[in-house]
Amino acid sequence: MIDVQNLCKDYVLKAKEPGLRGAIRGLVRPEHKKIHAVSDLSFHIDDGEIVGFIGPNGAGKSTTIKMMSGILTPTKGCVLIDGRDISKHRKEVVRNIGVVFGQRSQLNWDLRLGESFELLKHIYQINQSDYDRTIDDLDSILGIREIIDKPVRQMSLGQRMKGDLVASMLHSPGVLFLDEPTIGLDVSAKYALRKFIKEINKTRRTTVILTTHDLGDIQELCERLIIINNGVMMEDGRLSEIVDRIAPYKTLVVEYYDESAPEHDRCEMTEHSGNVAKYRFIKNEVTAAEIIADLSRIKTIKDVSIEEAGIDDIIKIAYGQSG
Amino acid sequence: MKKYLYVVKTQIIKSLTYEFNVYGNIVMQTIIMITSAYFWRALYQGRGMVGDVDADSMLTYVVMSSLLSVLLITNVERRIQMSVEKGTVATDLMKPINIFGVYFAEDIGNITALLFQNVLPILLIGSLMIKIPVIADIRDLSLFVISAFVSFLINWLIAALFGMIAFSAVNINALIQVKKHLLRLLSGSIIPIWFFPAGISKILESLPFVYIYQLPLSIYIGRGDRTQYLSQMRIQFVWLVILLGAFFFAQSRVTRKVLVQGG
Amino acid sequence: MRKACRELIHYLDVTVHMFKMAVMTVIEYPSNIAGWLISNPLQFIMGFAIIKFVVESFGEINGWNYGQLAFLYGLSVISHALSMIFFVQGWFMGYYVMEGDFDRYLTRPLGVMYQFFFTNINIVGITDLIPGVLVFIYGCVKSGVTVNLLFIVQIIVTLIGATLIRGGIYILLGSTSFHTRSAVDFGQYTQEIMDKTTMYPMSMYPESMQFILTYLIPIGWISFYPAASFLGINSRYAGMMIPFITLAVGVLVMLAAGAYFNMGLRKYESAGN
Repeated sequence: MIDVQNLCKDYVLKAKEPGLRGAIRGLVRPEHKKIHAVSDLSFHIDDGEIVGFIGPNGAGKSTTIKMMSGILTPTKGCVLIDGRDISKHRKEVVRNIGVVFGQRSQLNWDLRLGESFELLKHIYQINQSDYDRTIDDLDSILGIREIIDKPVRQMSLGQRMKGDLVASMLHSPGVLFLDEPTIGLDVSAKYALRKFIKEINKTRRTTVILTTHDLGDIQELCERLIIINNGVMMEDGRLSEIVDRIAPYKTLVVEYYDESAPEHDRCEMTEHSGNVAKYRFIKNEVTAAEIIADLSRIKTIKDVSIEEAGIDDIIKIAYGQSG
Repeated sequence: MKKYLYVVKTQIIKSLTYEFNVYGNIVMQTIIMITSAYFWRALYQGRGMVGDVDADSMLTYVVMSSLLSVLLITNVERRIQMSVEKGTVATDLMKPINIFGVYFAEDIGNITALLFQNVLPILLIGSLMIKIPVIADIRDLSLFVISAFVSFLINWLIAALFGMIAFSAVNINALIQVKKHLLRLLSGSIIPIWFFPAGISKILESLPFVYIYQLPLSIYIGRGDRTQYLSQMRIQFVWLVILLGAFFFAQSRVTRKVLVQGG
Repeated sequence: MRKACRELIHYLDVTVHMFKMAVMTVIEYPSNIAGWLISNPLQFIMGFAIIKFVVESFGEINGWNYGQLAFLYGLSVISHALSMIFFVQGWFMGYYVMEGDFDRYLTRPLGVMYQFFFTNINIVGITDLIPGVLVFIYGCVKSGVTVNLLFIVQIIVTLIGATLIRGGIYILLGSTSFHTRSAVDFGQYTQEIMDKTTMYPMSMYPESMQFILTYLIPIGWISFYPAASFLGINSRYAGMMIPFITLAVGVLVMLAAGAYFNMGLRKYESAGN
């Protein structure tokens, strides 16, 4: 399990001033600005959870993941994995984690895929039978044996991702970190990735932590969501809870026979184009039935449908809020 | 013509913005220059003339060689290799301006910038620590300048021709190194050819490389007389013409090949 | 103690495998090494030829005759080749860090420095090693040194130390990119300077320069002092202990380089990317 306690990461930047005078001043007496990339983050993750980190670019997600996987040292606070501080005992703690970077592969470009796996076998000191068993296991999920003899440079993005996934799991880590793993993947590759994560989580109880912008990832995988913006935690909880908390509404889509659409005081008209108007209302305050009844009294309704609040709404709100 | 001047200007600005690059370059060049000077001083200890020159002249040779090396920096072969690697070759060749003209202008811009940044400090340090590189005979100054200019052209053409090999073989990094070393050795920038055994120096004198460093430097330190300078400059000029011909020939062939194959 | 042994075996095991992979990579791209196979030996043969020409014109260099110079030259080239095989990446350390390649190393249970140098073993350096060994053997013969077991041990110790000194210097220079963040191609220049100071007897340079090369930038210990000792030539430092001093200097330089690298890394981390 993972314990993140009061995690902070500050950067000191030299302020760049415009113009020649500014440039000279920057050389002689530079002004320093402190940036709080991550401020006082605390949370606990149990074994076997799948947690998604979302937030706009520059929010501090990657910085947090990097601190959790031992890549960056925190300015303050600590990350404990199974009770051990990862920045103090890096080499030991790291034996139990796997990391997949969406944009950067750890595979050897020039040689066949299998060589990269062999190297990892030596690096993590995996014995041969465990190694074979793991490959067989992962082969049943991803079909890795099909491409294990292919030189990595000849692979498609989806194949390379499969290679990276297997590479990260070869030493059977208890925790798997994935940083934007679905970027650039096509639909079938995304599907394979999500299936993989669900499988290893189910059969091996691997704790999975991923950062993503992909709504599909969140929907399919994340039971729990942590929303970070401006280095601060905005939300932490189950997807449905968060939705109820910050986007507790539904949208009524009404089609009329002409282009005029009446207002309703219990809900907000968010869109009106052509004959269709969308009304947003808070779930607990009023029901769709009531609104439909009221509206039809004022004007004849042609057709009606109801949209649930979803991830896009949380994203819009969470990304829009400032800390 | 204006577009090329623009390239020259941009390159000067680009070169000036990498200050550390500049200082690092100057520091390195001066260290090499000073080490070479000590090298020759030690060799000449207690000896008068060796190879028709004395210690003093060799020191002048060393200082002027460092200054001259600034003129002979070319990026063209690297730019060609990059355009091959990145696949922009076809588009480059199709542009309305001659891509080699652009490379030439870039190199000139780079050298102009370096002339102002590097030459003065190196000259200063060289004069203070080694000796002031006074030309042996002031009347030969014009010859020196002309031959130095032709040297620059020859050097650039060789580099460009070399770069064009990149169009057939993809990775020429090793070959660039070979060329660099061959050039340094055979052009007399490390050790003047006149120290080589007679047979070898005769062979080398029929190659264009000697005419890059050694000729202008020989003129400067006054090794030999004016008739020798003129006859060697004539050979230098012949090489210039040969290389120009080879260059244009290669350029048209390469352009045709690339445009047919599609890069 | 036992833990340390196990660690060592782990590193050796990984190293062997990294070597295998480096060789496999060369086999994968034979054209890569082909160019260097010509260029590097050529470079050294020419350098050696220059020495020959100079000696022919000047008689000897600072009291060293041709055979002794060959010995010095060969010794220098061998440590150069070794440093090219293992430490040439040191020139580019700053870049690799800024590109983010180091992130991956931090997620693995091995030392970061180790991974950096050994994942990128430059087998091509062998093209330098072979001419170096040949010239060195030639030099041994021509200068008439006694080759016995002690000699071989001393040579090996010297070469390890010399390679460490060279590697340390590369790392020190490479770490400057943390502070300057610019594209300085000093590799070539460093090569030239080191060539001139290791392939010729250092005693031919003025006292001030010898001082610098002995105590400040310990290049003199790479080939000059060891060679002078082996050949029985008088110099400031001579004797049986020299190879071990070279080794010690090498270790010190490496430690200093490592410290400087870490300083730069911390500064880089604190400024973000």
